[in-house]
Amino acid sequence: MMSVASFAKDDAREAALKTAEISRFEAQVNADAKVLGQLLDEGLEYTHSNGDLDTKASFIDSLTSGKRDYVSSVATIETVRFFGDVGVIRGKANVTVTSDGKSQDLHIGYTDIWVWKDGRWQMTAWRSARLPAPAAK
Amino acid sequence: MRSRLLLLLLVSLPLTVLASPRGDEASARAALLARFDAALHADVAALDKLLADDLEYCGVSATCSTKAQYLDSIRSGTRKFRSLAPKVDRVTLFADSAVLTGKVYAVSIGDGTERNVDAYFLVVLAWRDGRWQMTNQGSTLLQPKPKT
Repeated sequence: MMSVASFAKDDAREAALKTAEISRFEAQVNADAKVLGQLLDEGLEYTHSNGDLDTKASFIDSLTSGKRDYVSSVATIETVRFFGDVGVIRGKANVTVTSDGKSQDLHIGYTDIWVWKDGRWQMTAWRSARLPAPAAK
Repeated sequence: MRSRLLLLLLVSLPLTVLASPRGDEASARAALLARFDAALHADVAALDKLLADDLEYCGVSATCSTKAQYLDSIRSGTRKFRSLAPKVDRVTLFADSAVLTGKVYAVSIGDGTERNVDAYFLVVLAWRDGRWQMTNQGSTLLQPKPKT
């Protein structure tokens, strides 16, 4: 039987992961290498919606060098699931990004995978795809 | 003495069950390849075993399906393939799950036309009921190679 304490623990775990996710989006917009260094796993595989691939080092470098500039990221988390020490988040995001001098407004669906390691959540994989443009009214 | 042995057995039994080994990298890879093969051959019975009940399947258009919706699409032929050639690049094992990434080169059939759909995949397998079950797949279209 599930105890109240275990429900509370589950809620806390989900809240901690959502906080990490939101912090990660903010750190991207702020190109904050220090925060991203904590939130991204060393083995990160980052698949952008255009098929570009990044490691942790190349992703942080692209932000700090200005090669890729996230002007804004507004994410909506749709599901959060746990498989032991792994958390899987699925969501949607509206992203304005300037990449190699070209600005784009993207509406994407994403999945990211987080692993509980060294006492904190770390994102180990990200994959996104572009959602169809909303129909014009 | 006999009752002590019985007690020891009763105490250790749950530990033995808890310690039952999760599948290894090879079995995770095999489960995913079997999933692609079952999709290619529209083998709904095999897919039913290979997919977790809480599956979230997100295609290259970023629209997502449940297990029931995915199986229906295979059964009805809405989702149909001429070929599916997956290549698993990385398998990472965790306590109760495995994360696999790679590419799949697909020829899908829809409305009488064939379409090349080459994509990256990110898959999560959960170890349940003594086997790997796919609980999440997300895909991203591969960037077309620049023409030289």
